[in-house]
Amino acid sequence: MSELKNLTANYDEPNLHTMEVYERLGGYRSARKAVLDMPQEEVLSQLEASGLRGRGGAGFSMAKKAGFMPEGTMEKYLCCNADESEPGAFKDRVLMQRNPHQLIEGCIIGAIAAGATRAFIFIRGEYETQAKILDAAVIEAYEKGYLGVGIFGSQTVLELVVHRGQGAYICGEESALLDGLEGNRGNPRLKPPFPANQGLYQGPTLINNVETLCNAPAIIEHGPEWFAAMGVDKSTGTKMVSVSGNVQRPGNFEVELGIPVREIIYGLAGGPPEGRDLKCFFPGGSSAPVLTKEHLDLPFTYEAMAEAGSMLGTASIIVVDDSQPIVPLALNLAGFYRHESCGKCVPCREGTVWTVRMLERIDEGDATPMDLEIMAEVQTNIIGNCLCVLGDSMAMPIGSMIKHFRQEFEEHIEAARAARDREHIPAFSAGELAAAVEAGPA
Amino acid sequence: MARPEIKEISFEIDGREVRAPEGAMLVEAAKSGDVEIPYFCFEPKLGEPVGACRMCLVEIEGIPKLQTSCSTPVKDGMVVNTTSDRVKSAQNAIVEFLLINHPLDCPVCDKGGECPLQDISYGWGGGKSRFIEPKRHFRKPLELSPLVAIDRERCILCYRCVRFSQEVAEDYQLVFLERGDHTYVGTHDGRPYVGPFSGNIIELCPVGALTSTAYRFRARPWDVEEAGSICTFCPSQCNVQLTIRDDSKVLRAGARDNHEVDDGWLCDKGRFGYQSIHSEERLRAPMVREGGALIEVSWDRALDEAAAALTEAGAATAALAGGATTNEEAFLLQHLMRNALGSPHLDARAGGALDAGQARVLARPDLSARVSDIDHADVILVVDTELVEEAPILDLRVRKAARRNGAKVVTLTSRPGSLDPNAAVSVRFAPGAAEAALSALAAELGSERATGPRLHSRAGAEPGAIGAAAELLRDAGDVVVLWGEGISDGTRGAGAVDALLAVTRALGIAGRQESGLIEVPGATNARGMRETGVAPGLAPGLTDAAEAGMTAAQMAAALGEGELSALILLHADPLATHPERPRWEAALDGVSTVIAFTEFVGGALAENATVIFPAESYAEKEGTLTHPDGRLQRVRQAIGHQGRVRPEWSVLAELAERCGAGLDVLSAPQVSEKLFVAVGFYNGLTLEEIGGKGVRWQDRDAASRLPAAELPEGSLEVAPELSEGMRLGTTASLWSGPTVEHAPSLRFLAPAQRAELAPSDARRLGVTSGDEVEVAAGGESLRATVALRQAMQPGSVFLVAGTAENNPTVLTNGVPRAVEITKAGSTENGAGPSAGASTATGPGAQTPPT
Repeated sequence: MSELKNLTANYDEPNLHTMEVYERLGGYRSARKAVLDMPQEEVLSQLEASGLRGRGGAGFSMAKKAGFMPEGTMEKYLCCNADESEPGAFKDRVLMQRNPHQLIEGCIIGAIAAGATRAFIFIRGEYETQAKILDAAVIEAYEKGYLGVGIFGSQTVLELVVHRGQGAYICGEESALLDGLEGNRGNPRLKPPFPANQGLYQGPTLINNVETLCNAPAIIEHGPEWFAAMGVDKSTGTKMVSVSGNVQRPGNFEVELGIPVREIIYGLAGGPPEGRDLKCFFPGGSSAPVLTKEHLDLPFTYEAMAEAGSMLGTASIIVVDDSQPIVPLALNLAGFYRHESCGKCVPCREGTVWTVRMLERIDEGDATPMDLEIMAEVQTNIIGNCLCVLGDSMAMPIGSMIKHFRQEFEEHIEAARAARDREHIPAFSAGELAAAVEAGPA
Repeated sequence: MARPEIKEISFEIDGREVRAPEGAMLVEAAKSGDVEIPYFCFEPKLGEPVGACRMCLVEIEGIPKLQTSCSTPVKDGMVVNTTSDRVKSAQNAIVEFLLINHPLDCPVCDKGGECPLQDISYGWGGGKSRFIEPKRHFRKPLELSPLVAIDRERCILCYRCVRFSQEVAEDYQLVFLERGDHTYVGTHDGRPYVGPFSGNIIELCPVGALTSTAYRFRARPWDVEEAGSICTFCPSQCNVQLTIRDDSKVLRAGARDNHEVDDGWLCDKGRFGYQSIHSEERLRAPMVREGGALIEVSWDRALDEAAAALTEAGAATAALAGGATTNEEAFLLQHLMRNALGSPHLDARAGGALDAGQARVLARPDLSARVSDIDHADVILVVDTELVEEAPILDLRVRKAARRNGAKVVTLTSRPGSLDPNAAVSVRFAPGAAEAALSALAAELGSERATGPRLHSRAGAEPGAIGAAAELLRDAGDVVVLWGEGISDGTRGAGAVDALLAVTRALGIAGRQESGLIEVPGATNARGMRETGVAPGLAPGLTDAAEAGMTAAQMAAALGEGELSALILLHADPLATHPERPRWEAALDGVSTVIAFTEFVGGALAENATVIFPAESYAEKEGTLTHPDGRLQRVRQAIGHQGRVRPEWSVLAELAERCGAGLDVLSAPQVSEKLFVAVGFYNGLTLEEIGGKGVRWQDRDAASRLPAAELPEGSLEVAPELSEGMRLGTTASLWSGPTVEHAPSLRFLAPAQRAELAPSDARRLGVTSGDEVEVAAGGESLRATVALRQAMQPGSVFLVAGTAENNPTVLTNGVPRAVEITKAGSTENGAGPSAGASTATGPGAQTPPT
């Protein structure tokens, strides 16, 4: 098996990011069709029949989420979550950079499905290049009359704004994204109410990941059956996979869901460097619990990953080979989440910093095996008790590392202690010893 | 919108079937079943729950994850478990997380002993600590403001103070800075957090992070006792709890939540003003003037001299009462005046008497609103009052109604106010032109009574704005009108009240259960004093007095002319609060007897008083007050009398006795009893009934004893045309007056005189923000600093009332008055440096409005 290119089909085409090329290759036909010829319910039912699930991490049915939007004449919003900040994830970046109009077209279809008249693309601040490309594409779309008042000559209104984030991982959490978009401190909101009921400016809001929306045009174009025929079971369609870490050919690959994991890591990404073996991998970004060699032959689907105790998440596979010690890896990971914790709720704010401190002690040789028990328990105490999923995003992978690599942790504790103990015995200098030998016994 | 009906549902908690109001958050509903769920961040008064502390997690059948009970509304048939192993281990975990970075300095922490974190750690924590790393450190303690110290290490980031600042006080000063475990509470640029309600965050703080600088290290909870009373510093009459040590010293004042009065908040004056009780400068013994100087004397001598002087003056005695005079004191004063001395000349209002008929109409139960009606009003009309200065807690109430319940606010004021940004419509009129403005509004509302020509221009108001206000009011359901006593002052006061009543009638307020008026008076117990008979034409119970007396202004004239020879000042200082100061100065100089009841001896009294009785502070007093909405509340004695201070009711009773009209009262409750008999609509009241939360007399059967009064009919008098020139207005300041001057913590807030001007006027006058100006009228003048106000109506200038220096009473005279404003220090021939500066002051030199 190899790649199956739908989203990335035209990536070899020069200047794909321009309106001219995108339209020449059939772009905006789906949006035009959705706006002019399809009632909202039909757009929804096609998306539903396609089985398209959210590509941002949670994997929730896109049509179902859009279906939660209440009816009524109030202002409704579509927000595209382009705050791609998950360590290991870089798929949205390429989707926006190479084919921005595909996303804009997806936004139009998403807005029709949601009944929204205002749409926002909340893009990670560091994606400056991609934001500029999007900006230019949005201008082109406005000039063409595909955005604004009366799009495609219809009565439909859709305003689209590209909003740059200010550099916080938490703003990828949908409710924090809304706060950030409103100009507030980007902190997650308490749910319920869910954004579909009370989101941006307290209005009903549909929030979708870049890749989810990018899938919409092809579904409208080729029909839901075409999409549903790809993949297995409830994991339909293709998926962008970002592979990074200890592999020979890191990068983005578009695969059909259900492809064995081994195929992605070894077939597409070339596996770990010569002479090294796979130790573990994160199947869905840094917040997914790690899996090990025994999971390599599982099909890459939402269900199989969940069953194995992890998640497909953003499908960002980070490969760790056997040259990597687990403790620094855990420390690096926990350090990231400690830094990005917004500080609003207690278990995340205090639990992440506590975990980091313990891992530092383990690495510095100042810990005992008892600390490992405490650390495991701290992870348990974080999971499920937080306001949003950020705390769990650290606790789950750290917990999985302790579970899979307990022995290595224990050995690390002992080795580091021994090393520190050695370092800490003050030794006499050679000169001192020589002088003492010279002097002889008193 | 009417008050929501509350439906009861039943749910199961910890195996018990419990009934609770539908939609209540679980954490509160649990209390109905005597189940306590611990929490830190939850506080319904602060608005929507935030779910930040995670302390209140519970297990709900059918929901896989634990839920925060602070944000989960209870539903019929819900099954909740708060004691399962899962819940317990989550509670243990949260306490452990909270404590890892919390300094365990309880023995030296002010909060120790009354600390929710301490209590919850004992009640729901694991009792052990596994955190051995170094704790987080911040610089500490720091001043968050001169009133509040902040210890960021103790802070658990529960959001309470920040939410208070953002969503209750709406001063938007407190924010979170940084993120994660570095997050801390602070202000933009580290400026001091100064606002009229800042002290509430001390009480909201569930740990020792925010402490009162005034109370810091003064006592531990087990050294003190709490005593409930009523704050008497302003007409809001907030319920307070005083912290008392050794039965003799007030160490702290806190809120005592009464939904019908204060909603649990307290302003900083109410919170820190208690310091004035123990001021060194407070008078602690009676004094008489001997050889030109005041000397401390025995009570007997002071009473003798006062009684002798009063007996001699007899019917030529006048009396002014003010401030926090209790109903009992007011009742005894009018008894002393009318029955012992035969003088009808007593007044409790600075600006002029209210017409007797109007007073009765305004007291009608169907026309008066209760404070909590503000919560549910559709439209709140604010008429010429700056609530945040005059009755601060009502300002919060209006903000709450607008923010939480979508009430529309209409401000109809001469000065731009702090509620304007929250208002759907703001109407500005010229100072002193409330009568015309209200007449114009009545006309827009279709009142047949308002027939005058060009009412908008007589008010100096935009016709469109009044039209927009009327538009909102016309179709509104419940309307609450908050009106400032000031409109009824002066020669056109009766006309303005008449116009207000025309608006009232046009709005159909009489027929609406939850609509009504609330007067925002100048004096704390203005309503009580009026109802107990301290008014020139009104006897107790708002009945007509046997003999009409003089108003304050008439007294000043009569005293000056020798027609009256004695003056009793019961908590009143006419030089500070009454218009026409020059006339009062002359009156005080001329009068032979001035008997004053006061806590502090200042300016006029020091020079003119012949006998001074030391007044009680409110912490020493026993009596009742009547809230502007008609609620009688009890002021309770919390500490022993300081020095040789005696209860004022007993002093007044003794004076009456010595002047030949003893009342035979031996205790404060006996006076209350007599008062409840004398005032018809208070009949049958008892102190027990009033209790800790007060009783509105309108809600009792005796309310029918209010003398009948009809809403007036017939055409309104036509308000006069506007005068030319810069029209003078005054605005109250919460921070002026002796309480603030004698409370060290608050002194920094005492206002200096400022002249608020519209930028266009300032430009024309060649002055700008910060300039010293001289404001003059009728040969009198004062100094003020210019403050520009973008929203000020051109042609208006506002001065701060009640300032210690440069008090505008030298300029006010009860009629709309034009003043001259000149840059201070400019030479008469106009060739001086400031004249040069004024030509250079163009539009570009204007400072931004504050």
